[in-house]
Amino acid sequence: MKIIIIGAGEVGFHIAQRLSEENQDVVLIEKDPIKIREVQNVIDVQAILGSGTNPSVLIEAGIKESDMLVAATDSDESNLIACFYAQYLTDYITKIARVKNSDYMKHREIFNQDFLNIDLIINPQSEMVSSMLRLIEVPEASEVIDFADGRIKLIGITIKDNSPLVGRKLSSFTDFEHVILVGVIVRGEKVIIPSGLDTIQPNDLIYCVIHKENTGSIFRLMNVREEGLGRIIIIGGGETGLALATSLDATTINTKIIEKDGQRCLELAEKLKKIVVLNGDGTDREFLLEENIADVDIMVVITGDDENNVLISLLGKALGAKKTVTRIGNLSYIPLISAIGIDTVVSPRLSAIRAILQYIRKGKVICVAPLKGEGAEAIEFEALETSDIVNIPLSEIKFPKEAIIGAIVRGEEVIIPRGHNMIKPHDHLIIFALKGAIPKIQKLFTVKLEYF
Amino acid sequence: MRFRQIFRLIGILNFFLGLSMLVPLSISLIYSDGSFFPLLFSFIITSGTGITLFFLIGKINYLSLSQREGMAIVTFGWLTAGFFGSLPFLFSGSISTLTNAYFESISGFTTTGASILANIESLPKGILFWRSQTQWMGGMGIIVLSIAILPFLGVGGMQLYKAEIPSPVVDKLQPRISETAKTLWRVYLFITLLEIGLLFIGGMPLFDSICHAFCTMPTGGFSTQNGSIAQYNSAYFDGVITFFMILAGINFSLHFKFLKGDFKVFGKDPECRVFLLILAILICLVTFNIYGTIYNSLSHALRRATFQVTSIITTTGFVTANYATWPALSQIIILLCMFIGAMAGSTGGAIKIMRIILLAKHGYQEIFRLIHPHAVRSIKLGGKPVPAEVLNSIWGFFILYLGLFIVAVIIMSLIGLDIPTSFASVAATIGNVGPGFGLVGPVNNYLPVPDLGKWVLIFCMILGRLEIYTVIIMLAPAYWRK
Repeated sequence: MKIIIIGAGEVGFHIAQRLSEENQDVVLIEKDPIKIREVQNVIDVQAILGSGTNPSVLIEAGIKESDMLVAATDSDESNLIACFYAQYLTDYITKIARVKNSDYMKHREIFNQDFLNIDLIINPQSEMVSSMLRLIEVPEASEVIDFADGRIKLIGITIKDNSPLVGRKLSSFTDFEHVILVGVIVRGEKVIIPSGLDTIQPNDLIYCVIHKENTGSIFRLMNVREEGLGRIIIIGGGETGLALATSLDATTINTKIIEKDGQRCLELAEKLKKIVVLNGDGTDREFLLEENIADVDIMVVITGDDENNVLISLLGKALGAKKTVTRIGNLSYIPLISAIGIDTVVSPRLSAIRAILQYIRKGKVICVAPLKGEGAEAIEFEALETSDIVNIPLSEIKFPKEAIIGAIVRGEEVIIPRGHNMIKPHDHLIIFALKGAIPKIQKLFTVKLEYF
Repeated sequence: MRFRQIFRLIGILNFFLGLSMLVPLSISLIYSDGSFFPLLFSFIITSGTGITLFFLIGKINYLSLSQREGMAIVTFGWLTAGFFGSLPFLFSGSISTLTNAYFESISGFTTTGASILANIESLPKGILFWRSQTQWMGGMGIIVLSIAILPFLGVGGMQLYKAEIPSPVVDKLQPRISETAKTLWRVYLFITLLEIGLLFIGGMPLFDSICHAFCTMPTGGFSTQNGSIAQYNSAYFDGVITFFMILAGINFSLHFKFLKGDFKVFGKDPECRVFLLILAILICLVTFNIYGTIYNSLSHALRRATFQVTSIITTTGFVTANYATWPALSQIIILLCMFIGAMAGSTGGAIKIMRIILLAKHGYQEIFRLIHPHAVRSIKLGGKPVPAEVLNSIWGFFILYLGLFIVAVIIMSLIGLDIPTSFASVAATIGNVGPGFGLVGPVNNYLPVPDLGKWVLIFCMILGRLEIYTVIIMLAPAYWRK
């Protein structure tokens, strides 16, 4: 597949890197010659110097023979114009645009078939809001991703010192093996796809698949506090803050939102019903104490400033907030986060990357979730009748070492697989894999398709 | 610097180089010319060494070659390829000393075409074919060939590609580097086949057609005849070879675009227009200079001038006339051609038209700035602004080219060669041209140059082919520091 990506910013760059590693033909258009050089040194794509909103650059990039256009610059207008020209130049291309401004989102009709004909609009902010809402739903986890329409949840949990799991081999999990499978262990900077012989250590971040109904019992098993969610404080009343607050406004959760700018506070107060709007500075210790930060279950820090967010989260933790959700824009900070004691991170860029990759791989792959700085991925696949892996016991499949099947979803049933289980056609599989193993997995699942 | 990585790739490279010896091996079987065993031994040693290195070192991740490592692989790859390429000459007894054999082999791979052989026709057919084949492989690049063959190079391939491709700006024709390399080789192969066909139709024996086409397209210049192309004395062959030398001197991405259906591409490309213009002007000048003084008929003068100017400016080095006996103006033009070279991205050597255009524009810009001190101007090529770093790298290249040229000339004169020989031998090798003036003139060869001089020239040939930076960086102490 030939894919044109416009903009070699963090979003464009990561998507290009991912797709080129998966052997797609990628052409990247970027205005900045320095970025072009960086790209050429690091990823195997064709990089073209120029503006994506210039039709002749698009033609030079070969838009007429391309299958997909991903407009991922930081400017909504550039992205839309690029899609507009793409529509004008060729009829059959799939168009994905990253659009931030919520004003555009209110008039979605301009994106539909009669006009721009954009196949997918990625709004990083709304992607981020929905991932925050999922986190709030399962507050014990540092990451929650839905699979199989939400019936299966992939959760990331940091193991505490007092957890009963500490020091146990995975093969000894007989008491609850039918409900849980540990797919990935993140230990410091290392990402491990575990075998039965691996043990769990304190401060590991583990990713496991669980059935939606079992969430409660799992958390009991792990000795993780499971109480109802009482209070949330949102720091930062920007567009994301407002969108999150609006969603929470409809629930019974006691929510406060803190915003520095008095004028903006008035706007927020006009738009929100029950939620308490506070005018103050999130870095102000006295102010946070006054607002009873110690009793807060989740503190969501989403101001526009990464460094500030990190510091506010640390301050909140020190003052007794049970859990923090922190917005980090700069992806290079993400590997550091757990080291300095921040629980959970949301990132508009990571959300955008996730959404775009999911869409691009659609078809064979139903859902993809990059885990922890993208060292590993959880992928939902549909097993095809023609595939080599169906109807033989799992223990006989030559599965790459760096990957593991986390769950088999057969209709309503969810199976946490063991060696003797078999994959039937049309089963959905959830697979954990390190980055390097993904092409192998895709091959394993689609190899016979190529006969057609 | 991860040496395991570097040596393993060099191992693979030599393994494939050895495999390519199977072609002359089968030629030697057809003609049963006695070069079968020399070629067989060369094949076994080359491939054997390659595969041993490959397996001794074991599996390595290639995805992340740094620019430095890429340059090391390319430089050492070329040095070892030159060594293994000299084995057939040594084993068959065609060339007796290692220095001479290495000189001939490097002259082949770098597409220089400077030979130390006096009686070429006496060589066995298999060896003659190998001699042409080294040029053909070296023209588009042995590294580019391995990028095309080896799928796992990925991004690392880009570092190798940049280090080998002779051009100040690297153009990726396809999204993926391996596809780019394959495309270039396909275009190259296609044009070569075309030339073989045209030569064969004109009555040249098939073996000679292949060998000459193999030496035209890389702008190499080895001939199977003692008297080079002049031996045939055929206007048809002169014409065909001139045409293909011009093609070889044009950027191969233009050929690719032309074959894809963009027929106006040559006229649209600013560098190509300048190249053809310079070529036309120089041919006219030489024609009128030699008409009446050397040749009595205008058509004869035009034919000789066209062939010789094209041959030298594209850095091919085929000969149809002894230009060393021409009037001074013509000789000066021929000498200048050795420095100008063909287009960037072609198989030709020397400074190249693109760099000369940009240097000239930069020079003019400085004059303009003196007239209008407040003027803001950017240097453009074909309407596109040229980034300052490209200009800087071109200036650097130019200075290094001249600097190294001067150093080498001084060494050559120290060895005891006369002025024209010192000048021309260095100009003809660093520019990958082949024939020069004086002792190494168009009807002579490089055998009389003392051994030390030959090694200097070998170094010049590699410098020229890999466009200086890739090789010279190895000599910088900072390169080896961790």
